[in-house]
Amino acid sequence: MSKPKVAFFDFASCEGCQLTVVDALQTHLDLLDAVEIVQFREAMTEKGEDYAVAFIEGSCTRPSDEARLFKIREQAAVVVALGACAHLGGVNALKNLHPLEDVRQWVYGDKAEWYETYEARPIDAVIQVDAVIPGCPIDREEFVRVVKALLLGKKPPVPDYPLCVECKLKENVCLFHLGKFCLGPVTRAGCGAICPTHGDGCEGCRGLIPHPNENAMKDVLAEAGLTVEEAVARFTMFNTYQVKDRMVEEEAK
Amino acid sequence: MSLWILDKGAIAPFVEGLMAEYRVVGPKAKGPQFAFGDITDPAQLRLDYNITILPPKKVLQPQYERLATFTLGEDPQVEPTIEAGPTVLFGVHTCDLHAIRLLDKAFSEEYPDAHYLKRREQTIIVGLECLEPCDEHSFCKSMGTLTTDEGYDLHLTDLGPAYAVDVATEKGKTLLSQYGTVREATDADIRRLNEVLGAKWPRFTYRLDFDAAELPALLSTAYDHPLWAELGERCLACGSCTNVCPTCYCFNVTDEVNMHLTAGERLRRWDSCQLDEFASVAGGENFREARKARQRHRFFRKGKYIYEKFGELGCVGCGRCIRACVANINIVDGFNAIHGTA
Repeated sequence: MSKPKVAFFDFASCEGCQLTVVDALQTHLDLLDAVEIVQFREAMTEKGEDYAVAFIEGSCTRPSDEARLFKIREQAAVVVALGACAHLGGVNALKNLHPLEDVRQWVYGDKAEWYETYEARPIDAVIQVDAVIPGCPIDREEFVRVVKALLLGKKPPVPDYPLCVECKLKENVCLFHLGKFCLGPVTRAGCGAICPTHGDGCEGCRGLIPHPNENAMKDVLAEAGLTVEEAVARFTMFNTYQVKDRMVEEEAK
Repeated sequence: MSLWILDKGAIAPFVEGLMAEYRVVGPKAKGPQFAFGDITDPAQLRLDYNITILPPKKVLQPQYERLATFTLGEDPQVEPTIEAGPTVLFGVHTCDLHAIRLLDKAFSEEYPDAHYLKRREQTIIVGLECLEPCDEHSFCKSMGTLTTDEGYDLHLTDLGPAYAVDVATEKGKTLLSQYGTVREATDADIRRLNEVLGAKWPRFTYRLDFDAAELPALLSTAYDHPLWAELGERCLACGSCTNVCPTCYCFNVTDEVNMHLTAGERLRRWDSCQLDEFASVAGGENFREARKARQRHRFFRKGKYIYEKFGELGCVGCGRCIRACVANINIVDGFNAIHGTA
């Protein structure tokens, strides 16, 4: 069996997820036996266009991004969103909470009109995505598991259950019992509850679970002492694109 | 079998002795709370603990475990793996002793679970009598788990300067005679023990409004109770209530293969009926889609279904689910609400 040809692409992002891939390649050398990387700007000079699997980091923030995404989709049999920006829009989408003109002025000043940026979106808002590897950054072990699943032609084993499961199974002291705040009950697991394990509340970088009880979560945060503004700030850190419309609706009420 | 006296000062050498021959697991401090963990220094053992975050079931049914390894290809092979070794589970409260007895039934009747049973067989249990409630959520008195005369090999009761040690099995007897420095209990010791045991009952005040024996019958009329919708609104479906439950034993099994797809391992981890995916099947149907149905299922497991299956209630009153629920869902309030409106 010939090795599947794989390419990596980046859009609006910090490239941290691709660095994590490079990291995973160093600890899982067998990855390179299983696939052939033909394009990976972060890690190599060669640039092949005959890829079957495309890993895309970053969100779509410009009209010109769309054209590039369409081209990748046309070539790749499998498109994988790599990390929170591609999967959710991520922190890039925080700008969607403000008038676009203000944001452009803030960032580019009097050169604002030179740049064509618009609202940040996850890539599945533009093209069909076949699999996601969540997280900011991605978890290197999960990256390896997803690659293996794709090689087997199976659905990638990305959990649909909340972070609390992994946190409890690790027997962490619940951060709410320590007077802290955490989005663990509504956030997708798979990171090994790394932030709560080290004493920091979950900020939701892996996205919300499929049917989050957002109202109950807000009640819990309020009872724990978060103001509405603070709760909204938590929810929008990585998930602005997902919760913005509902927030606007609620504010209108 | 017999009653012995172990001075508190003799606990450390006793545990030290055990550590040479056994994996010793006992309650240890974890931040401001407690967790069962491997004792590598007798000073870590906190017999003054109130309650652990997870129950000691994790020693018998670990959160994650490998069941088998396999090879793929022309001639696939499967090799079961059972990771078990001689273990002393030290300082188990009576509610958890009751829960382990229930797990023993669940894992041995109908489909004997080789992995659980192998670990169980290799585990010697040292119980610890509870003399006061762990905290305001302990309702063990209602569930009849405030004391026990079975489910342990040795059982300690704090008499002040010393522990009374009840020896219940041959294993326990051997352990105590080999590693413990004890003397036989005198009549005065037995009087003191009876005093201590008699004095503890009034301290446990938190309880159901009714006799727990009524639970199965009560629930049989409560399938459509409005409580479930209310709990469904509040429940985050995070699974914490079942993950911390000493009698929940559901698990999920997955296979992981190596990068070359030539070999792999079969793994299992704890699962929870509160999770979205739990009752999902191929084709996308979910037989318990609504959170209210999942909470009802949990209450029914604890108060009815397990009773019907094993002849005893599925709740031991440890209160862990109440502590763990960030949405403040309280099983005692729930049962009382149903009783109050039945």
